[in-house]
This record gives sequence, C-alpha cells and structure tokens, in this order.
Amino acid sequence: MKRMFVTVAAVLLGIGAVYAQQDVVNQRQTSMKENGKNIGGVLGAMAKGEKPYDQAAVDAAIAKLAENAKTMGTLFPENTKGLKADGKYSASPKIWENRADFDSHVASYTKAVNEVSAAGIKNLDALKAAVPTLGKQCSGCHETYRLKEG
Amino acid sequence: MMRRLSILAAIIIVAGFAVYWWLTMPVVVAASALPAHTPDLSNGKTAFNIGGCSSCHAVPNQPDRTRLGGGLPLTTPFGIFHVPNISPDVKDGIGGWSEAQFVTAVLEGVSPQGAHYFPAFPYASYHRAKLTDIRDMFAYIKTLPPVSGAAPAHEIAFPFNIRRNVGIWKLLFMERQPFAAVAGQSPQWNRGAYLVNTLGHCAECHSPRNALGGIVAAQRFAGGPNPEGKGWVPNITQKNLDDWSEKDIAYFLESGLLPDGDSAGGSMASVIKNTSQLSAEDRTAMAVYLKSLAPVEGPARPKSN
Ligand code: HEC
Ligand code: HEC
Ligand code: HEC
Repeated sequence: MKRMFVTVAAVLLGIGAVYAQQDVVNQRQTSMKENGKNIGGVLGAMAKGEKPYDQAAVDAAIAKLAENAKTMGTLFPENTKGLKADGKYSASPKIWENRADFDSHVASYTKAVNEVSAAGIKNLDALKAAVPTLGKQCSGCHETYRLKEG
Repeated sequence: MMRRLSILAAIIIVAGFAVYWWLTMPVVVAASALPAHTPDLSNGKTAFNIGGCSSCHAVPNQPDRTRLGGGLPLTTPFGIFHVPNISPDVKDGIGGWSEAQFVTAVLEGVSPQGAHYFPAFPYASYHRAKLTDIRDMFAYIKTLPPVSGAAPAHEIAFPFNIRRNVGIWKLLFMERQPFAAVAGQSPQWNRGAYLVNTLGHCAECHSPRNALGGIVAAQRFAGGPNPEGKGWVPNITQKNLDDWSEKDIAYFLESGLLPDGDSAGGSMASVIKNTSQLSAEDRTAMAVYLKSLAPVEGPARPKSN
C-alpha cells in the first residue's frame, strides 16, 4: 500500500513537472506576444505615422519591453526542449544545442532595450531611429531560434 | 543494313551532342564590351545591399556583413552547396578577378574558367540588372576586407552536378530580356519593380518551383515551399498582402516588424538586414510595386509539415 502511494505520488509529481514546463512555454509565448504588441502595435504604429505620437504610451511600452527582457533568458529552460504550445510558432531545439549563442542574442537584445530605455525617447525622430534597431534584434533571434509550423 | 543503321545512329548521337554543346554554351562578357566607366561606390553599396550578397557570402555566425569569406552551407533538394569566398582576397577570393570576369559571373552565371554556375547563386535574377550597377558593386566589393580560407566542394548528386547541364536550365528558366521600365508607370514604381525583380531577387524565395528548380512563372510571388528546406514562404501578391498598406510593407523591410505585431523570422530575417540598409525612398518604391501586384493564388499549403 505504501509502495503504491509512493508510485502514485511520483507519477503525479512527474505530471506536475510536465505541467510546470508547459506553463513556462505558455509564459514565454505570452511574453513574446506582449513584446510584439508593444513594439508593433504601439511604437511601430507611431513611427509609421499611423498613430499620433503619445509620450505616455511610448514610455509605458518601453518599460514593458525592458521588464520582459529581464526574464527572457530564464524562460527557455533545458527541460522545455521539444515542448510545443498551440499556435504557429515553437522554440527550435537549436536553443539548447547552441546555448551560448542563444544567450548572446538575449544579451544583445536586452542591451539594446536598456540603452533605449536609459536614453529615454522624447520625440518622434528618436522613436523612428530606435524601433528598427530593436526590431532587427527580434528577427535576428527568430531567424535561427524560432520555428514556424508548415 | 545493320552497319548503315549504326552509322546513322552514330551521326544522330554526334549531332545530338553538338546541338547539346551549342545549346549549353556559356555566355562570356568580354572586357572590350565594357565601355569606359567611373565607378560610383555609393551606388555600388546600394546594389550590394539590395542584392543580398552578405546573406550568403558573409562568414556565418559573426555579425560583420562585409567579411565575404563564404562557407555557409545551403541545403537544397539537389544537394548541399558551400558558398564560396568572394572577398577581395587574391588567393581564396576574387582579388585577382578582372571586372569583366565579375560581370560575367553575376550577370551570366559563368565562371572565369568558362563553366556555368549553379542557380543556387541567384544570377537568374541578377541577369536582368543594369551593367553599371554590377560594375559599381565590383568596385565596392574591392574596398571590403580580404578574408582568407576557401569553402569545401559542393555535395551535389548526379546528374545535377554536371555544370554543362545548367546551360539547358538557363535556356528554360532564365529570362533573356534585361529589365525595361514600363511606360505609363511612375519612376517610383519602375524603381521598385527593378529592385524587386532583379537585384532583390524576391521571387527566388517567394514563388513555387517546378521539378527542375525553375520558378513557376504563372505563380511568381505567390509563395510556396521554402527552397532552402523546411517551412513555407508566404504569398506576397495582393492575395495575401491586401491588408498591408504601402507603409506597412516599407516599414517591414526596414524593421522586420509585421503590422499585426509579429516579427520576421527564418530566412526573411537576413533579407531585412539587407533591405534595412537601403534608403527610405528605395523601400517605399518596392512597397509601391508590391502593392500593384495582382492577387495570385499560390500552391496549396500542406496542412501539417
Ligand atoms: C533571444 C531570442 C529572441 C528575441 C531577442 C526575441 N524573440 Fe520572440 N521568440 C523567440 C522564440 C524562441 C520564440 C518561440 C517561443 C515558443 O513558441 O516556445 C519567439 C516567439 C515570438 C512570437 C510568437 C509568439 C506566439 O506564440 O505566437 C512573437 C510575436 C515574438 N516572438 C515577438 C518578438 C518581438 C517583437 C521581439 C523583440 C521586441 C522578440 N520576439 C525578441 C525568441 C526571441
Ligand atoms: C542565395 C545565396 C547567394 C546569394 C544571395 C548570392 N550568392 Fe554568390 N554564390 C552563391 C553560390 C551557391 C555560389 C557557387 C555557385 C557554383 O559553384 O556554381 C556563388 C558564387 C558566386 C561567385 C563566383 C565565385 C567563385 O569563386 O567562382 C561570385 C562572384 C558571386 N557568387 C557573387 C555574388 C554577388 C556579387 C552577390 C550579390 C549581388 C551574390 N553572389 C549573392 C550563392 C549566393
Ligand atoms: C531567402 C528567401 C527570401 C527572400 C530572398 C525574400 N524573402 Fe520575404 N520571406 C521569406 C520567408 C521565409 C518569409 C516568412 C518569414 C517568417 O516566417 O517569419 C518571408 C516573409 C515576407 C513578407 C511577410 C509576408 C507575411 O505574410 O508575413 C514580406 C512582405 C516579404 N517577405 C517580402 C519580401 C521582399 C520584398 C523580398 C525582396 C527584397 C523578399 N521578401 C525576399 C523568404 C524570403
């Protein structure tokens, strides 16, 4: 009886661990989508001239990007290799095969966001210069480490 | 009777071979065919950037797009190509090449030894570019740092490894006409059409290909399986981009950001590194041209892959 209890607990714990890992995958996808919304929907839209320049919205979007950048590196633990969530994207196994290179992408992106955030964007021209620089950091990492289905 | 027949057969084979030889003859641009020209380095840099030479020829896994030492492996249905060194290094790169040899390579896809290059080098698109753009590009590449080291040999299976056969491919799939401005369209539209169709070689990825690796002309720009292996390249006619504005397209080519808050990945990310170096005018011109493309239905995309 005791033994069975232990086995059941172990199985539950095992499942628990998988749930936790799946959670990390969902978390990083949510964080990435937030990045997309902030840089594309807010900053990019203003830089393109689709939305009027709005200082408060600019500050909030950059603060959110900087906050998400802080945890980005921790959202790709080894035990999530091969796990997928719904949607058209997944993380490439290359992340864990070339971890040092992936980490250097995280570092380079974080540095770029922190620089923008420290300098502070005060007008449309500064915004127009900053967004593509950040945007290329995003696609520079997706080029190798994000997989698209189909 | 038997003997006569075999003589006839021999004649047919020889004649057939002569026709094959004639059909597959490489085209060479002679130095004497190049008029006097003072290179414009800034135009050469633009031509180099839109041509995307760095995407394939820059040394992989390092950020400097001007180190053209080659070495990137390109996986295709025909085998693996190892991109050569085109830095100005005299021993391993093109430092010893004449201008006419460079022009022949990029516009005609023919080597200094007179052999055809494989179309993994997208000269079928470059072929339609302006001679002056290619000459300026040569002058610009000459100013970049020499890098030593040669790439390994290609790993291509028979019969695709026979360079002479590429002559047939060129006859079938390489448009002979140089790019001509379309009357009635604005200079901006024509500039965009020129960049997209020649040096930009956008159709090379954004079109389906037939079994011989030729672009399916009726579905040009309508997307298809990724020629470099996994995944799907999206349709960029108005079938798919109808809800993108000109600004959206131009901004995507500058920043890699999609209008819906996504960001480019895959091989497009390296194209963005090239297009982001262009002038805003050139990006807008390309957007104007893309917005004018009639909607074309692409090949059916498999449900899962
Ligand atoms: C260091 C690498 C890296 C950087 C930098 C990066 N991403 Fe990502 N991104 C990924 C990976 C890996 C995935 C796939 C995650 C998964 O599905 O598990 C992803 C997924 C995404 C997705 C798809 C989310 C979904 O599931 O639908 C979006 C949108 C996105 N990223 C936007 C951005 C934006 C915008 C930036 C820049 C502001 C950015 N990313 C920066 C690696 C990165
Ligand atoms: C999609 C990848 C790709 C792009 C983009 C590309 N090339 Fe290449 N290039 C190749 C490959 C592959 C070869 C080798 C072809 C062969 O061996 O038949 C090659 C060969 C060459 C050669 C001949 C080198 C030699 O040693 O014989 C030259 C010159 C060259 N490319 C110049 C350029 C220039 C200039 C550009 C930009 C305008 C460019 N390439 C863009 C893939 C590319
Ligand atoms: C090396 C192959 C390649 C070349 C060359 C290329 N593309 Fe792309 N393109 C892609 C891929 C792959 C995607 C999908 C990107 C992704 O998965 O995030 C894409 C996406 C796009 C998109 C976004 C479409 C959408 O619905 O998401 C546009 C617009 C685009 N390309 C335009 C161009 C233009 C203009 C050129 C020429 C300057 C070009 N591409 C050259 C491979 C290529």
